Amino acid sequence: MVNEDIKNLIPQRDPIMMVDKLIDVDGDVAVTSLTVRDDNYFIDENGLLAEPGLIEHIAQSASAFAGYRAMASGAVIPPVGYIGEVKRFHCYRRPYVDDELRTVITMGTEIAGVTVITGEIRLGDEIIADTQMKIFIEKNS
Amino acid sequence: MLLENKYYKIVDSCGEGLNAVFRIVLLPDCDVYRGHFPGNQVCPGVCNIQTIKECVMQLTEEKLLIGTIKQCRMTAVASPVVCPEVNVTITVLPIDRGFTVTAAITDTERTYMEYKGDMIVDSILP
Repeated sequence: MVNEDIKNLIPQRDPIMMVDKLIDVDGDVAVTSLTVRDDNYFIDENGLLAEPGLIEHIAQSASAFAGYRAMASGAVIPPVGYIGEVKRFHCYRRPYVDDELRTVITMGTEIAGVTVITGEIRLGDEIIADTQMKIFIEKNS
Repeated sequence: MLLENKYYKIVDSCGEGLNAVFRIVLLPDCDVYRGHFPGNQVCPGVCNIQTIKECVMQLTEEKLLIGTIKQCRMTAVASPVVCPEVNVTITVLPIDRGFTVTAAITDTERTYMEYKGDMIVDSILP
């Protein structure tokens, strides 16, 4: 169980904070959560979270994981990360307001500042979206 | 539309049928920049993806969902300062239940995003 305020792990702030908690870290795998609130930036007119919101949730989950590792290495503020590529993204269904997303991030090896990650969002036992992503993490920020 | 006239504004468009170019202004006062990032305005890549989706919806006159993204490359960091106006160039190919979309966000200097994936007509996904 990770007990760290998410604001210490990611540089994003309202209105585009898309992860609530880093729940667990085990080697190259981390688990995060997000409860979809009605004031979420990506809620559409039907009360559903739009697909780019799912992608941003995965990106910020990876960012929280990278922030956790940076803090463990002595960083004081969370590193800024950018999405370099989204690949093989699938949206199987969109969550509603009040749904609690549970997301598994698997972090690959970093090469020249680029890390390939995979992310899988679940709602209960159901996978609702998954993707691969390349992220750039800025050093010494 | 989630982001039209909030994150971007369409100032011109040309093309018809399966191809179009939308000229858009990135709005520097959009509230997303309060959080992305504080003191350092950077366009969220996902907002540019949503912008492409909304332009495809304008072109096709269909309410669409992103079912899959085969590949989306963010090739340069975009912001309302770096690129206040950009072109969103779109080609769509009708498929069963939707469209295969190829798109790019560019200005005269750079390409900011290259996108390919399938958008499906809303109501098919929950």
